[in-house]
Amino acid sequence: MSEPTQPETKELVLGKGRQGWGAEDMPPPEKAGLIQTRWDKCVGCGACEVACAMFHYGVLNRELSRIRIFRYQLPLPKSVQNVCCQCTEEERECQKACPLDPPVIHYDEEKLHMTVDMDRCLGSSCAECAAACPAEVPRFYPEFHDHSMVCDLCERDGVRKPQCVEICPHHALEFMRPQFPPHLERIHPDDKAEYLSKRLYPLPKDKVQHPPEDIWGE
Amino acid sequence: MNNMTAIKFNLLEINLTTGEKQIHDVTADMRRFVGGRGMGAKLMWERLPPDTDPLGEQNILYFGVGPLTGFLGSVVNVSAKSPLTLRAGTSNMNGHLGIELIYAGYNAGLLVTGKASKPVYIYIKDDQVEIRDASHLWGKYNVAAQQALRKELREALDDQNFRIATIGPAGEHLVRNADISHDFYHHAARMGMGAVMGSKNLKAVAVHGTRPPAYPDPAKLYKLITRFYHDARLKKAQDRRWGHNISIARRYYATTEGIKNKQLGWDSVCDKTNSVILEQQYKVWNDGCNLCHIGCKVPSMRRHPPLGPTVAELRHDNVGGWNANVMVGGFDEQMYLTPFVDELGLDSEDVSGVVAWMMECYERGLVTREDLGGIDLTWGNLPAICELLKKIAYREGIGDILAEGLKLAPEKIGRGTEKYAITGKGVAITSYEPRGSMKDAVDLAVVPVGELHGERGGEKWMACDGLTTCGFLARPLEAVFGLHNFAVEALPAATGWELDLDEWKNMLQRLRLMERCNCIREGYVPTRDDVMPDRFFEETIYNKYGEAKILDRETFIREREKTYLAFGLTPQGFPQRDQLEKLGMDFVVPVLEKTLGSW
Repeated sequence: MSEPTQPETKELVLGKGRQGWGAEDMPPPEKAGLIQTRWDKCVGCGACEVACAMFHYGVLNRELSRIRIFRYQLPLPKSVQNVCCQCTEEERECQKACPLDPPVIHYDEEKLHMTVDMDRCLGSSCAECAAACPAEVPRFYPEFHDHSMVCDLCERDGVRKPQCVEICPHHALEFMRPQFPPHLERIHPDDKAEYLSKRLYPLPKDKVQHPPEDIWGE
Repeated sequence: MNNMTAIKFNLLEINLTTGEKQIHDVTADMRRFVGGRGMGAKLMWERLPPDTDPLGEQNILYFGVGPLTGFLGSVVNVSAKSPLTLRAGTSNMNGHLGIELIYAGYNAGLLVTGKASKPVYIYIKDDQVEIRDASHLWGKYNVAAQQALRKELREALDDQNFRIATIGPAGEHLVRNADISHDFYHHAARMGMGAVMGSKNLKAVAVHGTRPPAYPDPAKLYKLITRFYHDARLKKAQDRRWGHNISIARRYYATTEGIKNKQLGWDSVCDKTNSVILEQQYKVWNDGCNLCHIGCKVPSMRRHPPLGPTVAELRHDNVGGWNANVMVGGFDEQMYLTPFVDELGLDSEDVSGVVAWMMECYERGLVTREDLGGIDLTWGNLPAICELLKKIAYREGIGDILAEGLKLAPEKIGRGTEKYAITGKGVAITSYEPRGSMKDAVDLAVVPVGELHGERGGEKWMACDGLTTCGFLARPLEAVFGLHNFAVEALPAATGWELDLDEWKNMLQRLRLMERCNCIREGYVPTRDDVMPDRFFEETIYNKYGEAKILDRETFIREREKTYLAFGLTPQGFPQRDQLEKLGMDFVVPVLEKTLGSW
């Protein structure tokens, strides 16, 4: 007796791969693209960091990741992601700030992602790119290698397939063409946390709980 | 796989009396007693003489992590001699503290000994380990202290990824059920670990690391994680929506959740705390622990007066006790009460048992209003509960007695109140109602350290504690890999050990026996102590559909014996001597012989 060929529930709900969650409406971009971060969905598991370090260096070390999770207490714990959003030319502060000519950190117009000439980079003693970036995205890990690290959308042989997007169990990252306002993407994680903390209105971000005396006292 | 070199396990010991810091290589011990819980039991066996004062200088406080901490949850297992049960104690906490300890290079955890002369906090950033003055933090509430310390460390370092564990006023005042709090809502709550921390004048531990251990086979670990994420996406998906609040409603209908200090099997108050209401009205967002695909924390908020705005995380463990056992129904009230208890630094679950006990005694006239300092402690009276909690946390008036916990306080008060204290080995039973399920009753009873949570002594919890992954992932792991298969796949990849299924099971058995031997040395007799309060055998309760629920004592004893045998123990619940020798635990035999004679 042959089993009826029924798709698994998992397949029905999730589809194949990332299909089925609306991802098919946002196909991977063919031209300029970026990793869109959905801060509200991030639970701070750090899987993206692990995936990034694994892809680029084959180790499990979040310090070697080009995407970073920042964890805040607003006072509720909330995590937000911090990753390069592949700015347009006039926005690219890191490229402008690089003291070398041509700039070490620059946009690769052919492969459509940011890249770093590792051999020429002056390393963490310079760090002008990190200082110039409004989101402080470029980072350094001198213990392993001393050059700037920035998101290259996991491009290999012309194929861009960001591993953080692939692994994120909460669909808090999406690889898509630019379509959201840069003032919500090109910002420091502190500012992202600030935006999210407004959800807790009227509880101020820096205030913890009200002291009990406020309510039950005479 | 033979070319893999096993990694080293470093234990950081900080002696607060002398200020001395040492790093021990405990690779051999970690290989045998895997994970924070096993290491904690071993350390307590080595370092604590049987008559140690839990709140004295000799007691140790061990923040244990293990080989897989940070993969699939980031468990910190806090071990110390418990001031609540006066025996070996253990308590789990999730969050991100564990992974920071691993990244700081202390992959066998942090051991705190001695006692500081003034309030201090421990600062760990990789190699930089400091004991710093905490007088400006002393007296602060839990989350307030965390916020203050985060701000301070951030200003100094421009680095907000410090993880901080603190105690609240209750821990400072040595309340015996005080908790250790981390990141707002992660708590090593049970068994009074906060009081131990307070007795050492240690207000906080702040950790940040940047150097992970060199895992021998990262590619395999990564493959396991990605496969788990993919296959387990729908497992425990309900927890992503409702957090662990989901289990409360289910438990009420199954009569496995305590109501009115275990006097009732159903009350209308139960329906007020439904996780659907929580999701629709209060939930703000999701949050989770390291490398966990669930993200089961559901932080919630209420805004409106007169109590708001307040934020809280309402799950089974903290809400269960307050909701029906104390009859504070509804999220509006709990959204106030839970953070209040957390801020004071009390274990929600245990202290709600104390309050429920006092309420019943007050109702029965065994305790008067004058005794309580003028508090009208009727069922569900929120202002009265808050007043009493403050008294307990600061040890004022009757609070000074109640702060002793359910093992010592009933004796001090007397007058027949002992009968109504629902406790197992000194730990309050609040969120569980054993009459609904004999399995629950036995699972609760057979844990030697105390009646903690559901199946803490069972195979699944034990395996998760051994792996140091979150216990809530036991079921998804079981479904995707099989729990033990996962262990023998992942542990060698993370440590470089050669491991087969038998050896893994031996490791778990060592963990179980070590914990048990610790307790036996301190006077634990399984058949005498693994019991439930008489109420569960004598008073019948009725569930929502009128079905009578009561425990039968003989069945209970029979089932308990079966569980002992399943655990590989003697029918009396003691370790088997030949098994101890087989597992290389001969060193416990002389001590057990002294305590038990020839058993």
